[in-house]
Amino acid sequence: MTESAPKPVLRIRDLVVEFKTEMGVIRALDKISFEVMAGESLGIVGESGCGKSVTALSILKLIPSPPGRIAEGSIELDGIEVVSQPEHEMRKVRGALASMIFQEPMTALNPVFTIGNQMVEVIRVHQKVSKTKAKKQAIEMLRTVNIESPEKRIDQYPHELSGGMRQRVMIAMALSCSPKLLIADEPTTALDVTVQAQVMEEIKRLQQEMNMGLILITHDLGVIAESCSRVLVMYCGKIIEMAETGELYKNPRHPYTRGLLDSIPRVRKEKLKTLPTIKGMVPDLADLPKGCRFADRCPKVEDRCRTEEPPLEDTEGGGKVACFHPN
Amino acid sequence: METLQYAIRKLIYAIPLLFGVTFLSFILMVHFGPDLTYSILPKSATQEQIEEIRAELGYDLPFLQRYGKFMKEVVTLDFGSSTSSGEKVSSILKKAVPVSFLVALPAFILANLLGILLALYAANHRGRFPDKAVMVLAAIGMSISYLMVVIAFQLIFCTSYGLNWFPVQGWVEPPPDYPDATAGEIFYYYWYYYWSYVAVPTLASIFVALGYNTRFFRAVIVEELNRDYVRTARAYGVRNRKIMMKHVLKNAMIPISTRIIITLPFVVIAGNLVVEKFFGIPGVGLVTYDAITNGDLPIVKAVVTCTAVLYVLALILTDIVYKIIDPRISYSK
Amino acid sequence: MSEKEVIVGRESLWTKSGRKLLRDRAGVAAMVVVGIYGIIALLVSFGVIAQDWDKLGEEGFEGMSAAHWFGTNINGQDIFARALQGIKTAFQVGVVVAISATAIGGILGAIAGYFHRTIVDEVIMWIYGCIDAIPFYLFVAAVAFALKGAEFTVPVLDLHISLAPYAMHIAMIATFWSSTCRIVRGEVIKIRGLEYIQAAKAIGVGPLTIIRRHVMPNTSHLLLVQSTIAFVGAIKSEVILTFLGLGVKEGVSWGIMLSESINDVLRGHMGNFLGASGFLFVLVIAFNMFADALQDALDPKKVSG
Repeated sequence: MTESAPKPVLRIRDLVVEFKTEMGVIRALDKISFEVMAGESLGIVGESGCGKSVTALSILKLIPSPPGRIAEGSIELDGIEVVSQPEHEMRKVRGALASMIFQEPMTALNPVFTIGNQMVEVIRVHQKVSKTKAKKQAIEMLRTVNIESPEKRIDQYPHELSGGMRQRVMIAMALSCSPKLLIADEPTTALDVTVQAQVMEEIKRLQQEMNMGLILITHDLGVIAESCSRVLVMYCGKIIEMAETGELYKNPRHPYTRGLLDSIPRVRKEKLKTLPTIKGMVPDLADLPKGCRFADRCPKVEDRCRTEEPPLEDTEGGGKVACFHPN
Repeated sequence: METLQYAIRKLIYAIPLLFGVTFLSFILMVHFGPDLTYSILPKSATQEQIEEIRAELGYDLPFLQRYGKFMKEVVTLDFGSSTSSGEKVSSILKKAVPVSFLVALPAFILANLLGILLALYAANHRGRFPDKAVMVLAAIGMSISYLMVVIAFQLIFCTSYGLNWFPVQGWVEPPPDYPDATAGEIFYYYWYYYWSYVAVPTLASIFVALGYNTRFFRAVIVEELNRDYVRTARAYGVRNRKIMMKHVLKNAMIPISTRIIITLPFVVIAGNLVVEKFFGIPGVGLVTYDAITNGDLPIVKAVVTCTAVLYVLALILTDIVYKIIDPRISYSK
Repeated sequence: MSEKEVIVGRESLWTKSGRKLLRDRAGVAAMVVVGIYGIIALLVSFGVIAQDWDKLGEEGFEGMSAAHWFGTNINGQDIFARALQGIKTAFQVGVVVAISATAIGGILGAIAGYFHRTIVDEVIMWIYGCIDAIPFYLFVAAVAFALKGAEFTVPVLDLHISLAPYAMHIAMIATFWSSTCRIVRGEVIKIRGLEYIQAAKAIGVGPLTIIRRHVMPNTSHLLLVQSTIAFVGAIKSEVILTFLGLGVKEGVSWGIMLSESINDVLRGHMGNFLGASGFLFVLVIAFNMFADALQDALDPKKVSG
C-alpha cells in the first residue's frame, strides 16, 4: 500500500463474537481481521451460518445480547473504537457514520407507520432539523434513489409499495445521513430477479457518488463479481480467503472458494452433466474439528489439515488464504 | 363514514355468531332449563292452575315457537319478571349494572395499565434479572386463587386482625337527608364512601389480574421486539425508549387492545361474581349469584344473553380498532 | 438468525425436549412436586391415607398438635386429612377435565385446520366462538340448570346416573376445549401447507389417514402443554365454583375448605384457610412452572437458554 492510499473507514482486528447456547458457548466469529477503505466496496461471501451477518451486526454493535457478545478484538469505525463505545454513544454512530440495509424489505420497515414517519425519525435522530425540513430532506432522498412521485410515496405505508420500492426506501433511509460506510446484508436476495439488478445498480451508483465504503454481504458470487473490488470468503466463523475480485475469480486459492465458484451455473462452452457441488455438510459451530474447519469436505485433505489449523497467509496474487496447499 | 360502513359489514358477518350465542342460551336455559311451574304455584295447585301457568310460561309450545318467544325477549330486552322478587328483570339490571361498572372499572383500568408498564419494563430487560423477577412474581400471582386473595385481603385491610382500614362489606347508601348540604358535601360523601367500599375489591382484583396481564403483554411485546423493524430502527440510531414506546407499542397494541376490549363486557355486565358476593356489593354479580342459588331463571337468562351479545359486539369493536391501528387492513375485507 | 440453523441438532423433537426439560432445574423441581401430589392422590384414592377426614371430633377449632397437624375445623374434623382428600378431589377434577377438554379440542382443531376454508372449519369456529361469548361462571350455572334432574342411563344394567353433580366437569370441558382447538387449528393450518402433507395428498392418501398419521402427531406437543394448562384451570375453577355453590357438593375439596374458612378467619381460626390455600398454591405454582418448562422444552424455535 502506498502513502497516498485512502484512510480505512473500517478496521477490524482479531474480532471474536460468542453466542451462549444450550450446547455451551460457540464462537460465531473467530479472530477475523479486515479493512474497508473509503470508496471501496468489499464483498463478503459464505454459506448461511458462516458469520457474514454476525460480522455486519457487530460493526454496529447490534448483536442481540444476551445471548451474543463481542468477546475480543477491536472494531474501528472512522477512528472510533466501537467495541468499548457505550450504548448512547453508539446511537450517534448508527445511521450516521455507518448504516445498514437489510435483507427483507417486507419486514424491515415498521408496518404501522408511513415511510415518511420512519424516514423523518431517522433524520431527526442525527440532525437538529424541524419536522417539515426533515420531510423535505426525506423526499429529496427518495428522489435520489429514483422513486417516482416521492411526495406521494412518502405518506404511504410499507405494504403499499412493491418489494423493490421498499428496498429503495431502505436505501434512502440508510443514506439519509450520509454515512461513511454502508453495510448491505443480502440486499437483493428477497427481491424479484428483474428488480435485483436495478437495486444493485442503485447501491453501486450511490456508493460512488457519496464515496462511501461498502460492505456487501451475499452468498451470490455473481453479485459480487459485478459490484465489488475485493472479496472476503468466510467459512465457519473464519476468513479463509481474501483477494481482489478479478484475481479471486481467475485464480481461487482455497479449495472452498474453488468449490463455490464451480457451483455457480453459467453458460459454458462444454456441457456439464451435473453442476459440481461441495460434498458434505458445514460442521456444527459447537463441535468444530480440531484442524482446518473445511477438512472434512476438502478434496485435497491431508493428515496435517486434521490436526493443525492453517493460518491466514499472504499469497503471491496479493491476497490472503488460510490453507496448507492452496492452488 | 367509511368506518361506519365497515362496522355495519362486520355486524352482518357477526349475525351467525349472534344467532349462535342466543341459540345456545336458549337450549341451555329454556329448552333444557328447569321447570318453574312448581316454584311459582303452591303445592296444593289444581290441574287447571298448573296447565294455566304452563301455558303462560310457554312450556306447552313447540320448540320453534318457544325459540321465537325467547328471541322476542332478547330483541325487546324484556326478560319478564324475577321469579323470586317479582320485580322486572330490566329494572333490577338497570340498578345493578352501574354498580358493577363502578366496582370493576378502577381495577380493570389499573390492572391493564400496570400490566402494560410491567411488561414493557420486563421486555426491555428480557433475559436479565428484572425480567426474571417480574416473571416470577407474575407466576406467583397467577397461582394464587381469587378466593384466597379476597379472604386474605379482607382479613388484612378490613378486620381488627389486620389494619382495619375499610368496612368488611357493603355498598354506598344514599346520604342522610341534611337540608343544607351543599353539592360539594354530597359529592364528597359519595366519593368517600365509594372508595372505602371499592378499595379492597379493587386491590384484590388487580392482584389477581396483574399476573395474567403482565405475562400476556410481555409475550406480545417480546414477540414484537424480535421483529426486523426493531433491528432496522436500532441500526439507524433510534433510541431504545423511542423504539419501545413508539414502534413496538403501536404494533403490540393490536393484540393488547383485543384482549382489553374482549374482556370488557365480562367485567361490566357479568360483573364479578366472586368480589360482589364476597364483599356484598349489589351489582350484577351479586344479583346473578342470588339468581343462581334461587333458580331465578329470567335473571340468569337475561345476564347470560346480554353478556354474550355484548361480547359479539366487542368483537366487532376490536375489528374497528385493528383497522385504526393497522394500515394493512383495508375496509373492503 | 442463520447461526441457529447450525446449532440445532439432528435428534428428534421428543428426545431433545426431554433433555432440555431435565436441564431446566425449576422445571424438574416442579415435576417432582407434581409427582408427589400425584402419589398422595393415588394413596388417598386407594384408601391408604387420610381416611378419617370426616370423623367428627369432640371439640372444634383445635390448634396444631401431633394428632392434628393443621388443627381441626368447626366440627372437630382433622384439617390435614381433609386437605389431603382435597388433593384427590383436585386431581380427579383436573385429570378428567384436562384429558377430555384437550382430546375434544385436539380432534376438532385438527379437523378444522385440515379443512381450513371449508364449511367444516367455519362451523367448528362458529361453535367455539359461541361458547367463548358466554362468561365461564354463568356458563357453568347455565349447564347446572340444564342438567338439574338429567340422567345418564346405562341400558343393560338399568343404571341411572344423575348428571347434576357433574355439571361442573361438563361445563369446564365444554369451555376449556376451545383454546386447545384454536391453537391446534392454527398449527394444523401451518402443517397442512408443508410439502410432505402435500405429497401425501398427491399420492392419494385419504384425509382421515393424513390427519391421524401426519397431522395429529405433530400437534401432540401442543396437546401436552394445553392439558397442563387445562389441569391448572380446572383446579382453580373448582375453588371459585364451589364458593359460588356450583362446584363440588359431596366429599371435600379445597373449594369447600376455603368457603368454610371465610367465617373461620373472621373469628381468628386460620387452619382451614392456611391448609387449603397452602396445598392449592403449591400445586398450582408447580403445575404452572411445569407447563412453562414443558413449553420452553418443546419450542423448537427457542435455542438459547
